[in-house]
Amino acid sequence: MTLNDIKVGDTVCLDDFSHNQSVYFKLISLGLLPGDQVIVMGRAPFGGPISIKHGSETFFALRRSEALKVQVKTSTKAL
Amino acid sequence: MLQQTAATLLLIGFPNAGKSTFFNLLTGGNRKVSNYSGVTVDMGRADIKSDSDGGIKLKLVDLPGIYNLVPASLDEGVTVKALLNLEGKDGAQKVLMLLDWQRIEASMSLALAVKDIVGSDNIAIVINKDDSAEIDPARRSELEKKLGCRVLPLSALNASPKTVEAFIRGLDLSSQVEPVKKLQITKEAMEFLPAGDHSTRIEVIEETKTITDLINWYHQKARDVLGSLSRPNDEKSRLTQKIDRIVLNPWLGGIIFAAIFYFIFDAIYTWAGPAMDLAEGVVVGMGDFVGNYLPEGHFKSLIVDGIFGGVGGVVVFLPQIMALFFLLSLLEQSGYVARAAVVTDRIMGIFGLNGKAFLPYMSGFACAIPGIMATRTIPNPRERYATLMTLPLITCSARLPVYILLIGTFVPATTVLGIFNAQTLSFFFLYFLGSIAALVIAKILRLSYFKGETGNFIIDLPLYQRPSIKTAFIQSWKKGKTFLTKAGTIILGLSILIWLLSTFPSANPELLEGKTPEQQAGISLEQSMLGTMGRTIEPVIKPIGMDWKIGVGMLVAFGARELFVSAMGTIYSLGDVDEESSPLREKLMAETWSDTGAPVFTLATAWAILIFFVFSLQCTSTLAILRRETGGWKIPIIMFTYMGLLAYGGAYIAYNLLS
Repeated sequence: MTLNDIKVGDTVCLDDFSHNQSVYFKLISLGLLPGDQVIVMGRAPFGGPISIKHGSETFFALRRSEALKVQVKTSTKAL
Repeated sequence: MLQQTAATLLLIGFPNAGKSTFFNLLTGGNRKVSNYSGVTVDMGRADIKSDSDGGIKLKLVDLPGIYNLVPASLDEGVTVKALLNLEGKDGAQKVLMLLDWQRIEASMSLALAVKDIVGSDNIAIVINKDDSAEIDPARRSELEKKLGCRVLPLSALNASPKTVEAFIRGLDLSSQVEPVKKLQITKEAMEFLPAGDHSTRIEVIEETKTITDLINWYHQKARDVLGSLSRPNDEKSRLTQKIDRIVLNPWLGGIIFAAIFYFIFDAIYTWAGPAMDLAEGVVVGMGDFVGNYLPEGHFKSLIVDGIFGGVGGVVVFLPQIMALFFLLSLLEQSGYVARAAVVTDRIMGIFGLNGKAFLPYMSGFACAIPGIMATRTIPNPRERYATLMTLPLITCSARLPVYILLIGTFVPATTVLGIFNAQTLSFFFLYFLGSIAALVIAKILRLSYFKGETGNFIIDLPLYQRPSIKTAFIQSWKKGKTFLTKAGTIILGLSILIWLLSTFPSANPELLEGKTPEQQAGISLEQSMLGTMGRTIEPVIKPIGMDWKIGVGMLVAFGARELFVSAMGTIYSLGDVDEESSPLREKLMAETWSDTGAPVFTLATAWAILIFFVFSLQCTSTLAILRRETGGWKIPIIMFTYMGLLAYGGAYIAYNLLS
């Protein structure tokens, strides 16, 4: 399951996604680490970027092609 | 030992952490501040304004934001270069890390990484955006103990410069920052640093995983350090979530985006229109008033026709320029701009660009120069060049006077489709045409010369904040001042030059005999130096519906676009023999071809001029900055040529379609 598969409003946990170093590099620089919880906030039309919320106060957007490279697993605890 | 007289402090932190706001607070400088990442792309230095006598002079260096110490674009390279003092000039005495309380964990990890490189004696930490003073003295000293360096929590928007200065003066500023450890970076990151042997300060790592593991480790460590330190309250975050649900909504997002920009253009016309009429009235009135006290002759003509006609014609656009920058500043401060990048990313992707190119293009609406500088934030060099080479097609504010003059005069203010104003729509169309041309050309470049994968697009979305009206006023006033300074210097000088060229050499008196005053004025202009120049180029511009007078305006506009308006002002004032001066708009409408008597300015001619201005690269400052940013004349020459061809071709089509 990748971040691209997640419905708007759902919470998931980032899995180990270090196999794609360039996306991994960028995301961990922003502070998104494997094991962290994110909520999918929105999906721009016509296959545009996905916006996510990380922790309680930081928001990001990334392309779907990048979201495809981010493995996630269902979150066990509520955010 | 020599007495120390000054100390330099480097300001380092995440993008959009508030470094420029902090810099402005202490130095009284006016670095541009906005609520999105990547506004600062170069180094800014200034002295800290100080009340205390006898202390050493403090210099502050504002640097582009970075997420980690591995540069991924040119602007980030600037910061790493300064931190490691790679150019070996006079180094800094302290690194001030500016952390963002709203992103405290992530930005703390950068501080920890920097601390490891320069040692904890060489850094101090400022935590910005602690707006409701959540970091109390107990927490602060706990942090200081854990980090081994001084910590100052504040809100740069309303902090007292004195408190901050006292904090800085309390630091040990006697020794120079020297790296205590080599910085590990990837091979790719080296291309964003200056060439040379940096092996004493940098270790190049082949395996990217080593680097990412390190970054990951710093983030984990930051979480440990912060531990139980409570997170900021999430009231702002809830508001952001609510607004984003609307502006990033799949269906509403695009409509809101278009509506915001339509509103801005409409405001320039409908709000600033009356102010412009007023300014026009004042300029014309003053010209008449001064003219009444001057004896007939060349001197009066120079003042009334040359200066009031030329400079006055440009100055009247001040309200529009200020209105545009006021509204853009409100938009930038709000945090919407990063969302606009998200909304437009898909479209940008079609043209082989990245949502990140939206930000430089957006700056290009104000002026191409900051836009071209902002392309430094685009990591992929091919994408950067495709953006940079098409950026001057974006409608900048220097085109505004030409557009307003011609649209306001020749497009009727009728209502179209029930709700739209025909003038606003024409305006919108010109902006649209420039933008779409930029994207199409970028696509062509990306398919040919700058072929390759698009870089990744991962962008942080700042929390929304209430824009400060005061900041917007300051930004708008600054732009207004720049505009007036330009009018008072370059445009004044060139207006006088144009007046001289269009007055001398005087016409042969025999030619003027038995002619009406109107004909005499026309003949004098034709016989002048400028008339001769215009006549020479007339065969080239006749196919696009322009007479030699417009041609002269086009020629001088290659210096700067606004000069078209001032040149028209001077030329038509000279041809105008009425006692009462009239605004330039009325003069344009009254102008006729000398052979047929038909009006020169038809809708077709007006549109041919407009289209010409949409495409052509008429700005010497842009050419100069392009040479600097691309390291040679090759790119500027290619751009000047392709844009000139587009301009002529476009004007030709527009003229022939409409006439």
